[in-house]
Amino acid sequence: MRAESLLQLKSRSQKCTVGCPALDRCLGGGVPCDSVTEFVGESGSGKTQLCLQLALSAQLPPSRGGLSASAIFIHTEFPFPLRRLRRLSRSFRASNPSLPCPDPCDRVFLRAVHSAHDLLRAIPAVEAFLLHSRSPWRPVRLLLIDSIAALFRADFDNTAADLRRRSALFFRISAGLRRLARRFGLAVVVTNQVVDFIGDGDVRVGNLETGLFSSGRRVCPALGLAWAHCVNSRVFLSRDEHGPVKTRRMSVVFAPHLPHSSCEYAIKGDGVFGVEMQQQQQHANV
Amino acid sequence: MEVGMLPISASKRGKLLAAGYTSLDAIARASPTHLARDMDVSDSEASEILNLATKASSALERPNGTHAAVVGGGQTAWDMLNEEKFSSYITTSCVDLDNILGGGIKCKEVTEIGGVPGIGKTQIGIQLAVNVQIPQEYGGLGGKAIYIDTEGSFMVERVLQIAEACIEDMAEYRHRFHKDFQACDVKMHPNNILESIFYFRVCSYTEQIALINYLDKFVTENKDVKIIIVDSVTFHFRQDFDDMALRTRLLCEMALKLMKLAKNFCLAIVMLNQVTTKHIEGSFQLTLALGKR
Repeated sequence: MRAESLLQLKSRSQKCTVGCPALDRCLGGGVPCDSVTEFVGESGSGKTQLCLQLALSAQLPPSRGGLSASAIFIHTEFPFPLRRLRRLSRSFRASNPSLPCPDPCDRVFLRAVHSAHDLLRAIPAVEAFLLHSRSPWRPVRLLLIDSIAALFRADFDNTAADLRRRSALFFRISAGLRRLARRFGLAVVVTNQVVDFIGDGDVRVGNLETGLFSSGRRVCPALGLAWAHCVNSRVFLSRDEHGPVKTRRMSVVFAPHLPHSSCEYAIKGDGVFGVEMQQQQQHANV
Repeated sequence: MEVGMLPISASKRGKLLAAGYTSLDAIARASPTHLARDMDVSDSEASEILNLATKASSALERPNGTHAAVVGGGQTAWDMLNEEKFSSYITTSCVDLDNILGGGIKCKEVTEIGGVPGIGKTQIGIQLAVNVQIPQEYGGLGGKAIYIDTEGSFMVERVLQIAEACIEDMAEYRHRFHKDFQACDVKMHPNNILESIFYFRVCSYTEQIALINYLDKFVTENKDVKIIIVDSVTFHFRQDFDDMALRTRLLCEMALKLMKLAKNFCLAIVMLNQVTTKHIEGSFQLTLALGKR
């Protein structure tokens, strides 16, 4: 065993752009490699959209914030939004004509997973793929799992034994993902759902003091405290349709390298884009 | 007199004795910088003497097979009290936190810090790994740090930010400790701070145990290490342990080894822990994971 030089590590720790400068600023440059990042939000908040966009923007060269790499997309919700990916990849291709791959969709590898144990079995399969794949579109540097919560919300009862079994699974999956992230310098992104917050006196996780609100309801991320220990960073996506304007907001709940920050964003035909609030406010003030 | 056995010049021998180093063991336990300061010689000379002393003392131990420290382990409570008064602290850079801890993280002790995700455990860990390097001229320890990362939350960019802030802080305090600050200025560069943190990434509990076992040797070779941070001690032990008795045994053994390290090498050990909810009398309460050790 040998201690690692942090100076070398420094050059190794890269970020993968989300595909929008405003969102990248909020995330300190994008999704970090060698780390597990979680996007959590209610349905329709844009988790899958972000994942699809990430899968494409990872193909950008490092000079433009990407990784020059392909992505593995593990999906647990059916069907996979292939038409949406096609649409995104067409506009991605149009705005980046110089990329080597003629069809950006070729660089997104898909795998369906139906249960938590299935996911656990998929991890060694992914490892084998990363090691032995002869695909011309190596390397793979991004692993997306959309969504992790769907796997756990059906199979487990609310009994002590089942909950223990469930959290042991969390830690095994998380250890597997972290090992992969470490070994291959992968950026691992998982998405999680939210559950409505009932009652009071819950544990506050992260930096959002007033709690997490989405669509005017107080929510908290699914899978509880044990899973919160299993990710390195958590980003909350919320939407608010009750106000005068529809707004969506991305907030950093916790991350080892980021302060608390947030950013509004909008989902358009050709992707997810951040909206610079400060600029707008400054204009309004002037 | 054991010092007499060392193949060094008479003047150096005299300096050693004048500085109070009478046994080989005492020399072997000192760090090169301490030794250099106490004897008023250059660092390279000090580390040379240290090497000789380590060799000689291991040669001494072999024939009778017993360790001198084990036999001569008697220590009065009075000595212990005095020692405690002079024991060194590592500041957390936060006055309130330091007050709660009675001055900071204490050397020779194992400290456990637990909390929910995002509360700042890793941040404290990184801060301590940087703060331990504050030079003695500025009231720090001037030591090095070992960081054992089981979760992958250690971000070098964050370390760099904290290191830069720490150097800025020291520049502010310069007027208070301004004797030979020039020398410190040269030494304290963010890259130097990064170089003085030994980083180990651990991917399974087997690796974690192996690393803890290896630390003894590692610290013997790097005597400047003044703090060991384990972030987090828990993660790999929450995965697939069906045999709870085995888990407890492994954890106890690990804790014991860490305590021994802390004592033998006079260094601080900080274990970061996760929390879990516990069902007590109908309500859920937060407790530290892994139970009471």
